[in-house]
Amino acid sequence: MTESSFILKHPLRVRVFHYLLAASFLTLAVTGIMLYFKLLAEPAMNTAMQVHVVAGVVLTMDALAFFFLAFDRVVLFTKRTFTFSGNDIKWFAVLGGYPQKILLHKKVDVPPMGKYNAGQKLFGICVLVGGTLLILSGWVLWALPHAVPHGAASMIGSIHLYASWVLILFLFVHLFLGIYMWDDFKAMFVDGRIPYEDAAEKAPLWVKNDLRRLG
Amino acid sequence: MNQETKTYRKGEIPGIIAINARECKGCDACKRFCPTGAITGMFGTTHRVDVDRCISCGQCLINCPFGAPYETVDPVDEVAAKLADKHVTVVGIIAPAVRVAIGEPFGMPAGSLVTGKMYSAMKKAGFVILDNNFAADLTIMEEGTEFIQRARHALFGEKAEHGGGIGPLPQFTSCCPAWVRFVETNYPALIPNLSSAKSPQQMAGAVAKTYGAAQVFNVAPESVYTVGIMPCTAKKFEASRPEFQSAWHFTKEKGGSAPSAPYPDIDAVLTTRDLARLLKKMKINLAAENDAEGGTLFAEYTGAGTIFGNTGGVMEAALRTAWVVLTGTPLSKIEFTAVRGLKGVKSAAVTLRDRKYGKEVTVKVAVVHDIRANIRPIVEEVMAGRSPYHFIEVMNCPGGCINGGGQPVCDTGSSWIGRVLPSFAWS
Amino acid sequence: MSKNDPSHEFIENPFSLSRREFIAIGGVIIALLALPAIWIRSALINRNHHIQARTKGLYQDDATAKIRLSHENQAVMKLYKDFAGKPLSPVSEELLHTKYVNRMKALS
Repeated sequence: MTESSFILKHPLRVRVFHYLLAASFLTLAVTGIMLYFKLLAEPAMNTAMQVHVVAGVVLTMDALAFFFLAFDRVVLFTKRTFTFSGNDIKWFAVLGGYPQKILLHKKVDVPPMGKYNAGQKLFGICVLVGGTLLILSGWVLWALPHAVPHGAASMIGSIHLYASWVLILFLFVHLFLGIYMWDDFKAMFVDGRIPYEDAAEKAPLWVKNDLRRLG
Repeated sequence: MNQETKTYRKGEIPGIIAINARECKGCDACKRFCPTGAITGMFGTTHRVDVDRCISCGQCLINCPFGAPYETVDPVDEVAAKLADKHVTVVGIIAPAVRVAIGEPFGMPAGSLVTGKMYSAMKKAGFVILDNNFAADLTIMEEGTEFIQRARHALFGEKAEHGGGIGPLPQFTSCCPAWVRFVETNYPALIPNLSSAKSPQQMAGAVAKTYGAAQVFNVAPESVYTVGIMPCTAKKFEASRPEFQSAWHFTKEKGGSAPSAPYPDIDAVLTTRDLARLLKKMKINLAAENDAEGGTLFAEYTGAGTIFGNTGGVMEAALRTAWVVLTGTPLSKIEFTAVRGLKGVKSAAVTLRDRKYGKEVTVKVAVVHDIRANIRPIVEEVMAGRSPYHFIEVMNCPGGCINGGGQPVCDTGSSWIGRVLPSFAWS
Repeated sequence: MSKNDPSHEFIENPFSLSRREFIAIGGVIIALLALPAIWIRSALINRNHHIQARTKGLYQDDATAKIRLSHENQAVMKLYKDFAGKPLSPVSEELLHTKYVNRMKALS
């Protein structure tokens, strides 16, 4: 392997999905917090709700399009996030070595990971389950709160609230680590490529098992 | 509440329903149930009730996903105090729809008919029973006779027995206080069409404090404390209407002893939910009670009185009696199934022979419930003089009083009747 | 991506899942997505159940009543005999009838 070789980690359709997801979810999170804490006066609250609804529609369209146009990637992602081994427990025991590295500038041994490390898997599960619940509950709360039985509607409201808290809290971690790992950030937002040696360090099992050399 | 209100008279409770700003998410569900557009506040903002438009029906309260609307009047403690006072005869006036819903807060399935358990629990709490079904039968006598008078006046030119005017057709029922206030605030031109008969609750109160005090309870009228037990939040408003002090006026006119300050015909109104809270507070488990009899003259009721709580029930009860009175012959089939069910507007035509005039007449009736969805075309028709009907029953709530705003909130239920279509809230 | 694209040498092997695995996981995803839809649908269909059950309760009370016509209520007849006279009598008019008020003027 030469030092200049790259892996295409995020193909174009994944990147487009992620652009729209990032834009709509950030908007939803910000407006959602405004709405929950009632931070604004009446007309502005209404605008926030309208923005929330529009961003929700964008997010739904994005998710639906990806689900139907890239169902293979949905299946692959689901399989990877739900596949665990003893290494994941060991990974969590040292939290992937990140706190040590970031806070103490110390390098600790980290068990080998696949494409997603244990933390990313947990995040992935939350995104899959929580995102689906948020989208479904959001639509019911917007369009059908009158027809859904009282108890079901209130339960759906709670689901929307708790799922959004979980995802918003994860979002901070995701944003921080995403920017911290600048190569990955560039890959997702620019050209999809990451350096081979970087991947070999962070995701050795993936590099070993799941790659194909071109040409 | 000290705000200026425009559609209330002195003494009336302005707005039974308010919205808890902390709980409201601005989802707009309540607006879709409100028959009068009384709920203001843009989508996504805290909603408020415009009390001048509100008819206190409580549909927003039982349908809000977040439980934000609440009742501003809570007489549970006052009633408990009266029950503890040995010098007061506390009369519990129990509406038909309460007996099929009061079991729910005590863990029984929806629709359980618990008349006997309810009598037992209420007697244990200290109530004297006046089953409002009795007053419903009385309402049929008054309202049915009034309808026959109006119909004979319109068809045969009959004059009123005691002089005075006779109202026009179609006659609207007047049992539903939310509907009455709806007419008063939105279609006052139709006031003459409303039956002049009081609602059963108000008849019961007036009777309990006159005839009841003197000949049934044998106490002074002012020591009778009447409590309406209703599936309805609007009944709390109705009881506060200043004209409903008729027992006091009547007693005074007849030279009886009456305090200088007038007392109302109905002293307090408990919703079905309030009654459940009162009983639980007194540690009475209704579900565990044995069946009991009402035990007073006023507990006697008929099947016609009990169906008042269903949409179509008032009409069916009236038709049964009107048929027998007009034709002089018994009914071959007691049920009028055409006026039953959850269709928005039900109509029926009954052809019968009026024995007094020896002529065949066809009585056309209509039954409307869920007025938010169904009343406009019917009243517009009457306003334009094109209504084909002679008698129209109107109940505000979807399904009638059994789904009233004062009933226990059903977690698996919604008042939305008919097709489910998404409604995309925006501004 | 063309095979001769010079920007990268490696891609993910798109065949890292067997056909069987793909169908199984895909099926589970779709089944799990269908669950909330089925639940909401059934909640919607049964949303008027309490109205129907209470309605039935009252009709049952009527069907099992010994007397089913208001004018045959002996207590009501006794009230008229002892006190009110008959429907629409002056006593009835005073105690059992009312008037309504126009509240619209205040609104406009």
